[in-house]
Formats: sequence, C-alpha cells, structure tokens
Amino acid sequence: MAGQRSKWLWLLIVLLLPVYAQLHTGSWAQRAELRQSQSVGFLVPSQFSRVLACGYKGLLADYQFLRILTFFGDRSLNQQPPTAEDWDYFRDSIDVITDLDPWFYDPYVLTEGLLTWDAGRIEEANALLAKGVRYRTNDWRLPYYIGFNNFFFLKDHAAGAEYIMKAARLPGSPSYLPTLAARLAYYGGKSQTAVLFLKQMLAENSDERLARRLQLRLLALERAAQIEDALQCFRHDQQRDVVKLSELVSSGYLESLPEDPYGGRWGILKNGRVFSTSKFVEKKKTDVE
Amino acid sequence: MMQRVWALALVTCKEGIRDRSLYGIFLFALFVLGLNIAVAGFFMRDLGKVTVDMNLAALSFAGLLLVFFIAINLMAKDIDKKTIHLVLSKPFSRGEYIWGKYVGLLLVILFAQAVLLLFSCATIASVHAMYPNYFAGFSWLVFFVAVFFVYLQQALLCAIVVFFSAITSTSFITLIFSMASYIVGISLEEVVFYLRSQAATQEVVASAALQRTLEVVSWLVPNFAAFDLKLEAAHGLALDWTRLGVTCGYGVMYIVILLLLASLIFKRREFN
Repeated sequence: MAGQRSKWLWLLIVLLLPVYAQLHTGSWAQRAELRQSQSVGFLVPSQFSRVLACGYKGLLADYQFLRILTFFGDRSLNQQPPTAEDWDYFRDSIDVITDLDPWFYDPYVLTEGLLTWDAGRIEEANALLAKGVRYRTNDWRLPYYIGFNNFFFLKDHAAGAEYIMKAARLPGSPSYLPTLAARLAYYGGKSQTAVLFLKQMLAENSDERLARRLQLRLLALERAAQIEDALQCFRHDQQRDVVKLSELVSSGYLESLPEDPYGGRWGILKNGRVFSTSKFVEKKKTDVE
Repeated sequence: MMQRVWALALVTCKEGIRDRSLYGIFLFALFVLGLNIAVAGFFMRDLGKVTVDMNLAALSFAGLLLVFFIAINLMAKDIDKKTIHLVLSKPFSRGEYIWGKYVGLLLVILFAQAVLLLFSCATIASVHAMYPNYFAGFSWLVFFVAVFFVYLQQALLCAIVVFFSAITSTSFITLIFSMASYIVGISLEEVVFYLRSQAATQEVVASAALQRTLEVVSWLVPNFAAFDLKLEAAHGLALDWTRLGVTCGYGVMYIVILLLLASLIFKRREFN
C-alpha cells in the first residue's frame, strides 16, 4: 500500500516537473523583458544605506558596483543608448558606492570611462573624482583624470595643469607626467591629447566591456589625430588651410582618408580639430529582423 | 575558582563543538569563500579589496550565526531542560557558572574562527596568486588585526547573550534581545553622526528628546561599528594603534561590567 502511494507521488513529481520548467523559463524571460524596459533601478540614498549595511559597507559597495556594471552592460549588449535618466542613476549610484567605501578605486575608473566620454557630464565626473582624491591621497591617477578632463573637455588649461602637476608629485606616478602637462597644453583640445590618455587608461583596465569601448574610441581618435597631423603639415607647406579633407589625399599628405570606426564622416572645426558626424557614439541597431 | 571556571568552560566548549549547526555554518562560510574566487574576476582593478571584503564578511557573518544559534542554545539548554538544578548542585557558585559558560562560548567561537581563518587565508592567497597585479594595497597585518576585532565584536555579543540568558526565561527572548542589541549597536554610530552633521547644517533638527534618547542608548549598547576594521583591511590603510588600544579597552571593559551585572542578577534568580 505504502509502495503504491510513493509510486503515485513519484508520478506526480514527474508530471509537475515540466510545468515547473515551463514556468521557470517564462519567469526568467519576463524578468529579462522587465529589466530591459526599466529605465532606471532603485537606489537607497547613502544616509540610509550606510545604516542598513549593518557593518557590511564594503560588501554593499561591491554589490552596488556589480549592479551598475550589469545595468550598463545590458544597455550596451542590447544596443540601447542610455537616457539622461540612466546617466542620473549612474552618477547617483557611483555617489552612493563611494560614500559607502570612498577608497574603492573601480567606481572612479568607471566614472572616467563613461560619464565623461559617453554622457558628456564632465563637471559631475570631476566632482565624483574629487571625492576620490580626498580619500586616496597617495593615488596619482585620480588627479590625473581630473587634469585630463579639464584639458580635453573643459579646455581649462590652468586647472588641468594644476591637477597633472599634483598627480606628478605623488608616489608611483610615471616620469613623463611633469612634461605631459606642457604637451597637453600645446595640443590643447586636439585628438592627440585623448590618444595619450586613452592608452594609459587601457593599460590600467581589466574589464573587457570597458576595454572594448575604449579601444574603439582609441582607434577613432588615432585616425582623427592622423588627419590632424596631415592638416598641420599641409598648413606648414602650403601656408593655407584645406577646403575639403579630400584635398589631403589628392595632394599626397594622406594615402587615403581613414574610415571612422563609428561609421561617421570626417569634418574640420575652425580650431583645426577634426570631428566626425558620428560624434564617436556607437549607432543603435535600427534593422529589426 | 579559576579551575572550576575553566572546567565548566571546557565542558561548554566540547558541547558547542559537537553541535551539528556548526557544520552548516562552516558550509555557509566556505561557500562564500568559494564564491569570492568566482566573483573576484568580475571587478576591474580593486580585486584585492573585493577579496578582503568577502573574506571578512564571511568570517564576521559566520560569527554572528555562531553566536545567535549555537551560543544562545548552549546558554539556554540548562534552563530550558531544567538541568540547571543538577549543574548548580555541584560545588561552584552561580557567578562562576556565568563566567565558565562565557569562557566556554569564547572557546567555541575561537575554535570555529581559527578553522575558518585557515580557509580564508588559503582563499586570499589563491586569488592573490591568480591576480598578483591587483593586490597593491593589501597587507596581511591589517587583515589579521581586522580579524581580531571581528572576534572581539563576537566576544561582546556573547557577553550580551549571557546577560540576557541570565535575566530571561526563554531562549527566544534572548535571541530577539541580542539581535536587537546588535542591530542598534552596529547602526547607532551612523545615526548619531548623521544627526550631528544635519544639526550643524540646520537641515534636519532632531528633537532634544530624540538626542537624549540616543545619548542614553549609546551608553547602554556597545558601539559595534568601532570594532569594524573591514574597510581599513580592504585597502590596507594605516592603522592608528592608539585608536585600536582604546577600542580594545572599551570592549573588554563593557564585557567585564556586563558579566558582573549578569552574575549579580543570576545569583538572585529563582528556578522552578
């Protein structure tokens, strides 16, 4: 009798398993859809999360950092460009993470990698990096990032030089930093500045997703710098500016006009800097198949 | 007297080590340590920090489970099962019983933490070997000091457990009171300093009554946050030895006073 009953129970379990499997798949698919449609995640302000962490502030900071990495990783995977609201969420998250653990280096790297280049929120990035400078007093990289942002994005050479010099005085900083300030001031907002900076950032970074973005940008900037160099030679030899970029090819200063890896077309700004119509932003996939 | 306290401590310790829940807690801590090896690679630069964070979290959380489940059980068993009459008929005082039990609990936790620390060191060493370039700020000395303070925090919590076991009649009430003391103790500092900073900028002015209540609570409940050196260990920050000395003294003094109070109350207690 007991054997009969356990047979029925086994049968019931076997029957229920496919139903469970179906519901499990459905539930995960629903969650994936929901996460994609959600514009931003929730965030507990640091005054509360510091209390709620119950002594595990470092661990909570790690978890929150993984969440923000996954959030932007999902966006990049689905080719969804982040909205202004997403960037607000990013900034606030980094603020909370660095309130929980202000010595944590990774959030500052991510801020420099995304909030400046992708979001164009230079002042906000500098404010977050300044928090890192206050705590990581022996780390030359954070003042170096702020210095670069001032040079390249804000065109504030005085502030930029001040930060780079500050970085140069800190232990472990590369020996080229003192002269770099002068070089950056010379190049100013030109692409070569960013090429130098991105190479250093890439050498520092081990996250594949961020590295891919940085490498693509580095390639685009190296090509822009190549065109800028050719432009400078042209101006030096011919004592005039080119009318169209194709002139560089026809007069032999470039073998061919390099392609913008972001798919845009090159143009020249009045200050001699080369720009691309893509603005170095990855295009969203429009073809739905 | 010391001999009798030690004898009772050893019996308590043996009983604690035989508890099956200990294996569960070990498994949990080992799972977190294993998870650490898997998760470390998700981060970009500060892998050393993440590793130390996870290791210290595993040690301290396992310690909390030990105190809340094994220590409370060890304290309450005698009273719940009425074996207390048998124990107290032996030739030692009630005060010695309290101290003996407390030292026994400390030994159980010391044993468990020593085993977990071995695994933890192995985990850190293996992540260190996997990613040698990302451990710039790591220091074994600061890590071990942080582990010692985790242990001290649990010793404090044990004293609280012994105190509440001495005054309450069921282990459930002891559990609730000890957990509440821990949560208040670990978050008190943040709340006090937050209100102070807000009062300074006049954003939120806390009522005088609330301020006074917090002041009283801060005297009654130990400030567990003072024993938390996880961030210092994670980044290998320089330690202020005077601060550590004061914190250590503060903890030991709190334990001694609380246990003296517990023995006073326990002496007057009647069992039926």
